[in-house]
Amino acid sequence: MKLHFSRKMLGIPYLVFLIFFVVIPMLVILFYAFTDKEMHLSFGNFIQFFSDPTKLSTIVYSLVIALITTAVCLVIAYPVAYILARSKMKRKFVILLLFVTPMWINFVLRINAIRELLGWIGLLGEANYFNTIFGMVYDFLPFMILPLYTTMLKIDDSLYEASSDLGAGWSTTFTRITLPLSMPGIASGITMVFLPSMTNYVISDMLGNSKVTIIGKFIYEYFGTNWHMGSMVALVLLIVVFLSTWLTGGFREDETVRGANL
Amino acid sequence: MTKKRIGALTLAALALTPTLLFTAGCSGEETIVLRVFNWEEYIDEGGEGSYQYDYEVNEDGSAPPIIEDFEVWYEETYGTPIRVEYSTFGTNEDMYNQLQLGDTYDLLCPSEYMIMKLAAEDYLQPYTEDFFDPDIEENYYIRNVSPYIREMFESNRINRKDENDSSTWSDYAAGYMWGVTGFVYNPEFVNEDELAALGWDAMRAPQYRNRVTTKDNVRDSYFVALAICYRDEIEALDMSAPDYGTRLAEIMNRTDDETIARVEEIMREMDENIYGYETDTGKADIVSGRIWLNFAWSGDAVYAMDLAEAGEDEEGNEAEQALLNFFIPEECANLWFDGWVMPKGANTQAAQAFVNFLSRPDNAVRNMYYIGYSGVIAGEEVLEYVKDCYSVDPEEYESEEEYTKYDLSYFFGDTVEEGTAWFYADTVQATSRQLHAHYPTLEVTQRCAVMDYYGEEANEAINELWSRIKSETLDTWAIVVICVGIVLVIAAILLLKFGNKIDFFRLPPKKGYKRVKQQNC
Repeated sequence: MKLHFSRKMLGIPYLVFLIFFVVIPMLVILFYAFTDKEMHLSFGNFIQFFSDPTKLSTIVYSLVIALITTAVCLVIAYPVAYILARSKMKRKFVILLLFVTPMWINFVLRINAIRELLGWIGLLGEANYFNTIFGMVYDFLPFMILPLYTTMLKIDDSLYEASSDLGAGWSTTFTRITLPLSMPGIASGITMVFLPSMTNYVISDMLGNSKVTIIGKFIYEYFGTNWHMGSMVALVLLIVVFLSTWLTGGFREDETVRGANL
Repeated sequence: MTKKRIGALTLAALALTPTLLFTAGCSGEETIVLRVFNWEEYIDEGGEGSYQYDYEVNEDGSAPPIIEDFEVWYEETYGTPIRVEYSTFGTNEDMYNQLQLGDTYDLLCPSEYMIMKLAAEDYLQPYTEDFFDPDIEENYYIRNVSPYIREMFESNRINRKDENDSSTWSDYAAGYMWGVTGFVYNPEFVNEDELAALGWDAMRAPQYRNRVTTKDNVRDSYFVALAICYRDEIEALDMSAPDYGTRLAEIMNRTDDETIARVEEIMREMDENIYGYETDTGKADIVSGRIWLNFAWSGDAVYAMDLAEAGEDEEGNEAEQALLNFFIPEECANLWFDGWVMPKGANTQAAQAFVNFLSRPDNAVRNMYYIGYSGVIAGEEVLEYVKDCYSVDPEEYESEEEYTKYDLSYFFGDTVEEGTAWFYADTVQATSRQLHAHYPTLEVTQRCAVMDYYGEEANEAINELWSRIKSETLDTWAIVVICVGIVLVIAAILLLKFGNKIDFFRLPPKKGYKRVKQQNC
């Protein structure tokens, strides 16, 4: 027997990983979501989920929290990334590091520190939703800055030169060159902030004193009592994930987007 | 290499494996493996902070974990080597999930309601008869368990659903730790008389708005709301009546629809008034003065009071104020316990030996010292330990009001010499500090109720209630509006992305221009 070693075989470990840790678990979730306690096929969970205002409200609240978090992150990160990418500063990587270093510290520690700070200011327990969003913005900001920075870095300088040669002002240059060419970075940043902020219930528990319930916490609680409903909630979340990835262009195969995905 | 040769090699390897395994197994005597599944930080783990370390019990200064001592003891006593595979869980539900996933254990340590659930679902194996024989030297559990706990275990049926099943807790479970629930409070901000008048209703009291916390778990919050809901009925009960306990337990385990509706109303008011739900931040928050009242299990309460007395919070920073008190509401408190149970198929001999070893009074003291909760084991060593901690000399006090005779004979009973289970304690200690939480008096335990397993249906209803309380619920119209909005946004994005491919949405060409068919590139 002759073993043919082709480059395709390098993908086997990844394939195995994919099957065991992504495909099979998803099938298990699908199975649990559409079965009842006696393991019979049932749409009971589905109907119960979409007829229960509590569950739908939780989804809506999570969506709103995630949207605000993403918007705030974008507003903060865009100018930072722009300045970093465009400036001729000698040591700009230091500034970048300042934003990125917190990522290397475990986020539970950071959230604990934020909790103490908020308690010291007096906001803890007073403004639960604000605290939650504040914590999420703090936590996810680097994930917005980095893709924006890398896409903007790649914009060819000659484009800016051409634009200025042709007499475009700052605002025209921005709307015609910077913004369109950084779109892949924006899309990638949004996916990386929006999705985790829908489920990161450690932040909402610690900074919102467990009074803020987001969909991640919901799934966690259901898996303590009723796996079938928990799987249904997880499935709905998966659909939201797919939808938003698709809308922000995560499935497109062109090179600009790929480059921005870290 | 041909296929044939690979096949032959595999066969040879397969043929060899059993021999190899066999020889490996024979190198020593057969080692028993005991798989124990316990709460996190719920056993003496040796080293700094352990009883043996702090009191230099061993001459060489060593302080091994209690499990290592068990392995040595077991081999010495029964002549077979044993190895304990010890793993931990964080909540009763986590433990239950592990069991359902097919993990096998010899010994588990769930709380009372989970024990009842496991029993109702036929997971458990009863203790063998010789476990209850007090004449066997090694039966430390039955020889030292507190008569109070023993009575409770023998008088409560484990399976409430099946009328024909008359087995009691003691058939399936051996106690480990027990305690009550109450409030840890900061006397600087909370007036004791006011709190006594409010009881559990302090959760809803406007003067403690944003200064009181409860546990982030449905059963504890439900219990509190029940106590508020039926307070009048509880207080109308005759405490001296023989069926007081049963009637109290009946009230505190109600799960009918009307009760759930009333409780929901109360829990909603609690939700609006409290500072937050916590799982473990409460201790640090009350010590630092951020909150004034903290719903606590007695062991955690002792821990928080100790911290406050040491003038430090968990991180070792100096706290702004020093002393905290413990208060058990007059109307009713929750009596809880964690106990050892054996799942079906467990190695009963080794599992029971483990329970017995932990129940040897000196080991019970070690565990109590390490984890700070109160064990179910009585006996001379335990009494001595309690006296060491709390007994005072009346001659050092100026007035008689400052010390109290503290009687624990209900707990120690005949496990100690008659008439010795009492001591003088500091009055403050006895009525509102660690001693009050650690070993409540008989009078306090009488107004406590155990929370049963509610049964599948009621459990589901209460969990739904919990999720309604914890989430903000929008009006239906708001949900509809938002859903329509989301659909519109998605449609808009899709139009922006693909709209130029559909003629309908394209602007008409400027005058003099012609539309050229789009080329695919």
